[in-house]
Amino acid sequence: MIDFLQLTAAGLSQGSVYALLAVGLIATYTVRHVVNIAQGDYATLAGLGSISLVTAGLPLPVAILIALVSVTLASVLIERLVISRVKNLTTLVSIILTLGVSTLLQAIMLLIWGAEGRRLPAFPGSDLNLGGVSIRSQELWMLGALVVVGGGVLLFYEKTRWGKALRASAEQPVAARIVGISPAVASVIAFAIAGFVGAAAGVVSSPIYLSIWSGGLLLGLKGFVAAVLGGLVSFRAAIVGALLLGIIESYVAGYVASGWKDAVAFFILIIVLIIRPAGLVLRPNAVRV
Amino acid sequence: MSYLNKAATRSKSGFWPNNRGTIIGVAVLAVIILIVPFTANSSMMNIAVFSLIFALPAIGLSLLMGLAGQVSLGQAAFFAIGAYTHAILLQKFEMPGPVAAVGGVVAAMLAALLVGLPMLRLRGHYLALATLGLGFIVMIAVREWEFTGRTTGIYGYGRPEVFGIPIDNNGLFFWFVAPFVLIGLVLALNLTRSRAGRALSAVNDSELAAESLGVNTYALRVKVFTLSAGFAGLGGVFYAYQVQIVSPQVAEFHVSVEILLMVVIGGLGSVWGAIAGAFIVELLSEGLRDLIPAIIPGATGEVQLIGYGLVLILVILLLPGGLYQVVLTARAAIVRAWRRRSESADASAAAPPDGTADTGAGEVPTRAFGGLPGEARGDGGLGSDALGGGVGGGVEGAVPALPAVATPVAAGEPILEVRGLTKRYGGVVAVDDVSFAVPAGRIMGLIGPNGAGKTTCFNMITGAIAPTTGTVTFLGEEIQGRKPHVGAERGLTRTFQNLQVFSSTDVVGNVYMGRYRKGRAGILRGMLGLQGREQYRHEAIARDILDSMRLGEFAELAAGDLPFGRQRMMEVCRALAAEPALLLLDEPMAGLSGQEREMLAALLRRLRDAGLTIVLVEHDVAQVMALADSVAVLDDGVLIAHGDPETVRNDPAVIVAYLGTDAEEAEAELKELEEQA
Repeated sequence: MIDFLQLTAAGLSQGSVYALLAVGLIATYTVRHVVNIAQGDYATLAGLGSISLVTAGLPLPVAILIALVSVTLASVLIERLVISRVKNLTTLVSIILTLGVSTLLQAIMLLIWGAEGRRLPAFPGSDLNLGGVSIRSQELWMLGALVVVGGGVLLFYEKTRWGKALRASAEQPVAARIVGISPAVASVIAFAIAGFVGAAAGVVSSPIYLSIWSGGLLLGLKGFVAAVLGGLVSFRAAIVGALLLGIIESYVAGYVASGWKDAVAFFILIIVLIIRPAGLVLRPNAVRV
Repeated sequence: MSYLNKAATRSKSGFWPNNRGTIIGVAVLAVIILIVPFTANSSMMNIAVFSLIFALPAIGLSLLMGLAGQVSLGQAAFFAIGAYTHAILLQKFEMPGPVAAVGGVVAAMLAALLVGLPMLRLRGHYLALATLGLGFIVMIAVREWEFTGRTTGIYGYGRPEVFGIPIDNNGLFFWFVAPFVLIGLVLALNLTRSRAGRALSAVNDSELAAESLGVNTYALRVKVFTLSAGFAGLGGVFYAYQVQIVSPQVAEFHVSVEILLMVVIGGLGSVWGAIAGAFIVELLSEGLRDLIPAIIPGATGEVQLIGYGLVLILVILLLPGGLYQVVLTARAAIVRAWRRRSESADASAAAPPDGTADTGAGEVPTRAFGGLPGEARGDGGLGSDALGGGVGGGVEGAVPALPAVATPVAAGEPILEVRGLTKRYGGVVAVDDVSFAVPAGRIMGLIGPNGAGKTTCFNMITGAIAPTTGTVTFLGEEIQGRKPHVGAERGLTRTFQNLQVFSSTDVVGNVYMGRYRKGRAGILRGMLGLQGREQYRHEAIARDILDSMRLGEFAELAAGDLPFGRQRMMEVCRALAAEPALLLLDEPMAGLSGQEREMLAALLRRLRDAGLTIVLVEHDVAQVMALADSVAVLDDGVLIAHGDPETVRNDPAVIVAYLGTDAEEAEAELKELEEQA
């Protein structure tokens, strides 16, 4: 039982990382209908960047702040220089394009930081012990990041005028323009959000899960699986899905074999797409036959 | 031009004129392949061998992208499955080489079937991401599984032998792989020009229109995806022979990126481009592996990725059609220059050469990729005065021959029955409990004010949308909620209010697609090139139908260049080419000139007299009243009247629905609206 709870706790913290990536994916998907394959690379980029800054002698919070801001800017730059340059962005083209960006980012990271995985020092705090279940402070930081950053994005979209307009611009570009948001601005904001949440996921998870140049792809794929659980539109359902995915992975690692852990996401993806392609979202006016 | 058009413009039958380009191209490639081992040094030879091996998965991927409009990010997974299966069958089961090779290909195809069956039902990003996931699964599986040798992999099997000669050096191996690549190339080229290839190309122009002509998009896509995995599996088989040890790194993601890059460089969906791309990427990879460590000391690992990423982005941004676009643009420029020269040299020359740009080898990426700026169209003969020409004299003379009509039900018997048809969108009821029957051999008109639910009704009957409740029975079979091709296969064909033209092909290519349900040749026959005769026959029928509708002179014109009214007539031709039992026309009169309307009305009457059942949704109430044997009136989603034109005209509910106090006023008002629009 202790094992079970222990694995659940570990899964929840890992799931919060997927949740942040899913939030980023949905942000760009709703506005541009682009599944950004480079989403996970934002996380490794922020992780590796902050490691270098800490090694250079900067205090951890400063290093993290710089990494967050730089990756956010990088994501905006990618939107301006690459994504927005294509007039007819079909699904196929968007996949190839963001794959190109992802490959380029990975190669740059490989050349700068080498092939070895690196680790950011653990964030301050003491581990928690709840009736035999020990939770590392870093895991609490990961969950906290989801609550603060993910919650912040949710609040932005659901409570602010801009956020609502941004969501609307996905459906009705003309209407959004009337409210005062041009599609270009909407796209930039979406990529900024995607960059920021990706970076946040990368820095909080680095002390436990390492940052390695090629790690982003798998992270991004898991974020995508979570996003699919949210039908690629619902942040809440995607976050719930991501936490579930983290927990299931953790059980597979604990009870089956750790090597198979990374295969879980794919099986879930296939099963969900067969059974319920619209995701976990409950539609109030769903058609009943 | 697309697959469709290429084949369509080839009006003359015969093996040589239709395969000239392919034969010349393959012969040139064969000569190059023959020479290479004598001229290349050992490192070049190594690159050449890997280029040929990777050309196979690249050809497969180019088919998937060009025909199915989908992309696989896990081509390496199928490549790896082929390689592992081959190696395991050789090493653990000591099977003969050919058997093990077939095993490798079949294993890859089975894996694709498993992933493709669920994923290809969905549009968009799902197949790409699922194949990406499959790549990880395969890598994890071979790494974790004792049977596949974990991280060490499978080794210790022999090299291939041909007639007792061991293939033990790169030169021989190059010749060993080459025939398979050449055969694969020819099969792939044949497929793009086959009935199935042209159908998939049409799907990329308009999925709805293609399915309404009987194309089962899903089944064709699954087949193409499986086939593309088969190509990858075959590549894997040769890879296993060449490297003599198959380890998990063969399934790594960057291998998939490499294969994708080959296709992107060559030109999305171009089979020849895939081969060129394979050589270019292998050279690029080798060059970068030397170059990057020289520039950045200490760089190790997959350093070539930096080039892959850059090239992927740059090609998509600057040259979306890849090499194939460059070749096309260059060829068009040369042809133009040559024409100008020959024209000035010999001013009295008989006729300028028509679409000579067609070498027959061509196949072009489809519209799924946004089309090609440098794309040359093989027309140019038809001037604007030819387009502006009138429909022609008398109405009777305008329809000399009648396309064949199928009459599976005796006249008067119901051919289509709609019961309780309802469509709800959230709280809004678009169509509410509509029931009617359509007797065979009659024209039925469906009218109603704007937003009455006419087109929604139509879409539910044809399968474009699924009804919330209710049944649609066509020829005694319930077809509601099934895909459009289900009804189409049984003889239910439609036209569209908003035209759905296959714009990447010409007029005859569009009408040829109408013959789809009359064709038989499947993917296999298409690949083997054994369907030429069938295609020529259907093309001839398509031309006859165009001739009978006075559109024959526009047959070779790009469909998108036709004036609006003629596009509508072309859609009618396309629907008639399917020899339907029931023809559904969605506002066929809209946008037609008065003369064209009369001609169409006359044609519809003649078709009815020949036994065809017609349902038309129409705004032009006067036309419907004059034409139809029975009229149904929808208002606000409810069927308010159904009967012969005279009864309906005097029905008080109908008059109220049309906002008039009496029928004449209502009609006048409608006419006024029509004229304004």
